[in-house]
Amino acid sequence: MGSQPSNTRRRLRFAGVAAVAVLAVVSLVATACSKSSSSGSSGGTIKAAWIYVGPVNDGGWTQAHDAGRKYVETKLGAKVKTTYKENVPEGPEVAQVINDLIKDGNTVIFATSYGFKDAMQAAATANPKVKFEMATGDSITLGQKVASNYNEFYGAGEDALYVTGIAAGKATKNNTIGVSAPFAIPEVIRGINAFTLGAQSVNPAAKVNVVWTKTWFDPAVERKSAESLVAAGADVIFSHQDSPSAGEVAKANNLPWFGYDSDQSGSYASVWQTAGTYNWGPFELSELNKVIDGTWKQNNYYGTIADNFAGLAPYGSTVAAGTKTLMDAEITKAKAGKADAFGWYWGLADRQDQDGKTVITKGQTLTMKDLYTMSYFVKGTTGSPKG
Amino acid sequence: MKAATAPAVAAFHVTKKFPGVIANEDVTFDVRVGEVHALLGENGAGKTTLSNILTGLYRPDEGWMEVAGIAVDFQSPRDAIHAGIGMVHQHFRLIPTFSVAENIALGTGHDPVGGRFDLKMIEERVVEISESFDLPVDPRAKIWQLSVGEQQRVEIIKVLYRDARVLIFDEPTAVLSPLESERLGATLQTMARSGRSIVFISHKLGEVASIADRVTVLRHGRSVQTTSENDVSALASLMVGRDVESVTRSSRAIAESSSRVGAVVLEIENLHAVGDRGLKALEGVSLDVRSGEIVGVAGVAGNGQRELVEILAGLRRAGSGSIRVEGESLENGSTRHPIRLGVSYVPQDRMGTGLAPDLTIAENMALKNFRRPPVARPPFIRQSVIDAQGRDLMEQFDVRAPSETTPTRRLSGGNVQKVLLAREMSGDPRVLVIASPSQGLDVGAVATVHRLLIDAAESGVGVLLVSEDLDEVLALSNRIAVMYEGRILDTFDRADADAQRIGLLMGGQLDVSA
Amino acid sequence: MSRFGFRLEPRSYLPKWLPWAVPVGSFLAALLVGAIVLFATGQNALSVYGRILDRAFLSEGAFTGTLISATPLLFTGLCAAVAFRIGFFNIGGEGQFVMGAIFGSGIALKLGVDAPGIVSVAAMVVFGAVGGGLWGLIPGILKARFRTNEIITSLMLNYVAAVIATYLIFDSNSFWRELTGSGAVFPKGKILPTGSWWPNLDFGSIVVPFGFVLGMVIAAWLYVLQRKTRFGFEMRVVGGAPTTARYAGMKPARIVVAVAALSGALAGIGGAADIGNFRHVLDPKGLQQSGFGYAGIVVAALARLNPVAVVFVAVLLGGITNAGYALRGPDFPSGLVGVLQGLILFCTLGGEVLARYRITRSVRTPMNASALESA
Repeated sequence: MGSQPSNTRRRLRFAGVAAVAVLAVVSLVATACSKSSSSGSSGGTIKAAWIYVGPVNDGGWTQAHDAGRKYVETKLGAKVKTTYKENVPEGPEVAQVINDLIKDGNTVIFATSYGFKDAMQAAATANPKVKFEMATGDSITLGQKVASNYNEFYGAGEDALYVTGIAAGKATKNNTIGVSAPFAIPEVIRGINAFTLGAQSVNPAAKVNVVWTKTWFDPAVERKSAESLVAAGADVIFSHQDSPSAGEVAKANNLPWFGYDSDQSGSYASVWQTAGTYNWGPFELSELNKVIDGTWKQNNYYGTIADNFAGLAPYGSTVAAGTKTLMDAEITKAKAGKADAFGWYWGLADRQDQDGKTVITKGQTLTMKDLYTMSYFVKGTTGSPKG
Repeated sequence: MKAATAPAVAAFHVTKKFPGVIANEDVTFDVRVGEVHALLGENGAGKTTLSNILTGLYRPDEGWMEVAGIAVDFQSPRDAIHAGIGMVHQHFRLIPTFSVAENIALGTGHDPVGGRFDLKMIEERVVEISESFDLPVDPRAKIWQLSVGEQQRVEIIKVLYRDARVLIFDEPTAVLSPLESERLGATLQTMARSGRSIVFISHKLGEVASIADRVTVLRHGRSVQTTSENDVSALASLMVGRDVESVTRSSRAIAESSSRVGAVVLEIENLHAVGDRGLKALEGVSLDVRSGEIVGVAGVAGNGQRELVEILAGLRRAGSGSIRVEGESLENGSTRHPIRLGVSYVPQDRMGTGLAPDLTIAENMALKNFRRPPVARPPFIRQSVIDAQGRDLMEQFDVRAPSETTPTRRLSGGNVQKVLLAREMSGDPRVLVIASPSQGLDVGAVATVHRLLIDAAESGVGVLLVSEDLDEVLALSNRIAVMYEGRILDTFDRADADAQRIGLLMGGQLDVSA
Repeated sequence: MSRFGFRLEPRSYLPKWLPWAVPVGSFLAALLVGAIVLFATGQNALSVYGRILDRAFLSEGAFTGTLISATPLLFTGLCAAVAFRIGFFNIGGEGQFVMGAIFGSGIALKLGVDAPGIVSVAAMVVFGAVGGGLWGLIPGILKARFRTNEIITSLMLNYVAAVIATYLIFDSNSFWRELTGSGAVFPKGKILPTGSWWPNLDFGSIVVPFGFVLGMVIAAWLYVLQRKTRFGFEMRVVGGAPTTARYAGMKPARIVVAVAALSGALAGIGGAADIGNFRHVLDPKGLQQSGFGYAGIVVAALARLNPVAVVFVAVLLGGITNAGYALRGPDFPSGLVGVLQGLILFCTLGGEVLARYRITRSVRTPMNASALESA
């Protein structure tokens, strides 16, 4: 093949002909149905769209976000028409997806992965009439310049982890809790710190061992890390990961297991404790309501356990009744607390880091920036906060 | 039933056309029960197409076939197998890691006992067949352990295992040594005597004459004649369509040319080398070739000839010794240096080593001069010059193909050899090394190739001819060297050469001193 | 096959119209089969195809989006095409792309804000080529020296490259990683200085990324290299007949190594283009998600390894990818987009069979097989 120059010429010609033929056929089709496609919002209905990084049935992050979308749809009924784009890679493609959604008439766009942030901000500047809602964004908190039709929201997952830590502190018999965690980044570090403080609040002798997996999702690696924790003496496992494979290890060793982001009680009933989860729907509903009555504005929302944004998955059957009471009491206390209800526990006492240096003084309230840049482990944690 | 008298298989007025080519036209022939029937023809005469029709791979455009007197219309090779027609292909279709019995059972579709083949039963059957037809082979041996001849026996047993009544052999001796060929001939006759019918496709006149009961000659796609003639020259005329005289140089012509021989152009001195398996292949070969002479190297394959020519072409490294071309030392293991010094080489493996099958005739003809002007205008090459050069050489060397842009893979054996010779003889070579020049060629092409070699020598080139075919060596050479186990046992002038003595030397029957 | 009244017969001759009719026919067949699949899943095929055309090529900015999707495919397609041509099955385009992205972004960051844009962009092209080229050189040398199977080595190096990129951003305080600002909150790469961002050529309604233009120029250069130069001639001989190449005084091992490096360099420039033109930051997660290297193999196969055809196929597949984002939604699972893309590939490769065999009608005449066997 390809030995004659005429062959190539012929192929070139083929490419040209093919392109023309395809365009001809498809344009016929396009004119036949151009009436059915596009056109923006109609009447009192607003169109809102969600952009997901994974598939809607991933059993974790994206599924939780899609539950939020469905919640909005149920609550608003005919007033909203929602859509989503799943499996969108983080990269230049996002801009195309956003443009597509705007062309389809969507006026509110929720993006649910940190890697979408830059494209969202650029699109916000270019499309002032569309509202852009960026989950997990940090630009406003960090004081970066963004358009006024761009908003960021996230929640205090660490608050739920503090309550989870209470159960772990109660469950451990040899005072060694193993944590399998993805990357040494502030979001994960503050969650582990909260978890440790929660455990120590009911069991001052509790120690937390952290092993980094350096992956968000890799069942084999997650399993190995859980096995290494068990081998090092942990009798309670908390996996801050997307797959339930640490649960397999816990089940095999009959050790209490805490998951993350989703309810895994079904498959791991014998060891399941609970997990910190996010409840995206109510916030998104209130944002859409504000768009509908024209009161929407940028608000840099950080949800807490008090307003049900951060929450806990159903407790497992092996969680002791006394422990449940302790946890519920803590949640009630948080809900009854002040307006800035997140992080009520940080300042309960002087807190030291691993080197014994005081990093939080009693009564101190942490700002969001403190939380967003937290890079130390509190005393009682083994493992390096540098990864 | 008329089975007793009807031919085992017959074709009537079969025509098969491919766009632009009529492969078979009005071919009629019949194969009797119990005979060895040869299909004789030059390359491209339509033998392969006809056998593909007989085995159901193609359907004829016109005409029909009968098996045992009943008209058949094969839709697929499976139908042909069903009708008792089996083919022994030239290229074996065996799985190297499977045993003989497993290969034979493959595709038979029966014998699965409890989800597995009943290997024992198959092996017994294989032994039974191999004993009754003198086809010795160990049913448990793995294919990769077998020689080519043994693998062919497996293919034959495979066909017999399926109870074929008609066996078609496509150039079966092409891969065999002379001794093995002889033995195969006897086997074919045994099978015919057992009531089977054999179709034997070949272009080798000698074996056709000695093995076949009847011969159908094909020429240009037509069946010329069916005859029980066994005179070789008569068959040759039928095949070629004219009287052929094989090109031989009379001893006078050779003596005359020997007197015109010039200076030494190739000096091989005390050459040592190891072969592919690390064994000694050359043990002190020394040989001179002078301008204008043909030096023939006779010998049975595997006595170091391949290693010798490959070292000359730079494809293999010599262990020690020296090679000089017109006085200049040849770099060991460089393929480019011999080309620069004017050493041309026509390898035995023409398609695999000599040509790039997917490239055009013209491009293949430029393989050795594309680096230099006028073909190259560095860093570019000029396709128009390549094509023009190809057209010229095609005409000069009578290469028959639709155009110079035809891929060489589509050429027949004779034309392939002509393309190679055209390239190697153009560009003013000093030395021409050629291995088995007539192997696989039909008589017409052999004559052309021999003519070209003589022309080359007469134009002053030193020709080193390496061939297993002693007749060829004797017919062309001014001097003859006999190779055995990596040494040159003796060298003769043509005038002093005695075929019998050379034959004995080739077999290692005489020691050097004798 | 005979039962259906049709059979395949090997072609001994190729009609002139066939080489281009088959791909076109295959593509139309893919649309047809796709329509059946869409109908079966409750979609309106007409509106789906209309939407693909609209969002891939026609609507405002759509063609620009298509070119953005096509740019990395163009480079990885050329990477596969040039290597496969000589029988070097480099499936390491993925890793070479990533290494090109690492090297390309590295030099842009190193040159910093003060370097003139043209210097930065040129340096990115060169360093991207070096990064990808080195990564392609490894399987090339291993093959030439030790006859290692390049499919395995180049594939393995894809994972190594992915791990290196992840290490640079997530696992170390490397030169590439942003440690201040939002980089302290979530690991990310440093944004390239805006001067080093590759330009876009604005033709009014269509904006053409510079990376795509560069890719087209390289494709044309490759065409000339393969068809018109001595090196290209040697490549063609080595590809089809390595023993013959050696016999003709060529050095197949050197050519394999050179082409392996060239192939890697093409993917590497693609990686640099992806970062320079679009991402402006080394983003291991995004690179990994895209899988441009593997898609490039598909592009090369559809283009029958012809570099000029790669340009067209890249745009076609880029368009389908781009339109794929428009299609997916609550009632159009992203898997269905993959099915449509797969159908096009499947039909095209199936069409190759038709190019080599022809279909003949056969009329079955009754045949008494048992009588024959008793003969």
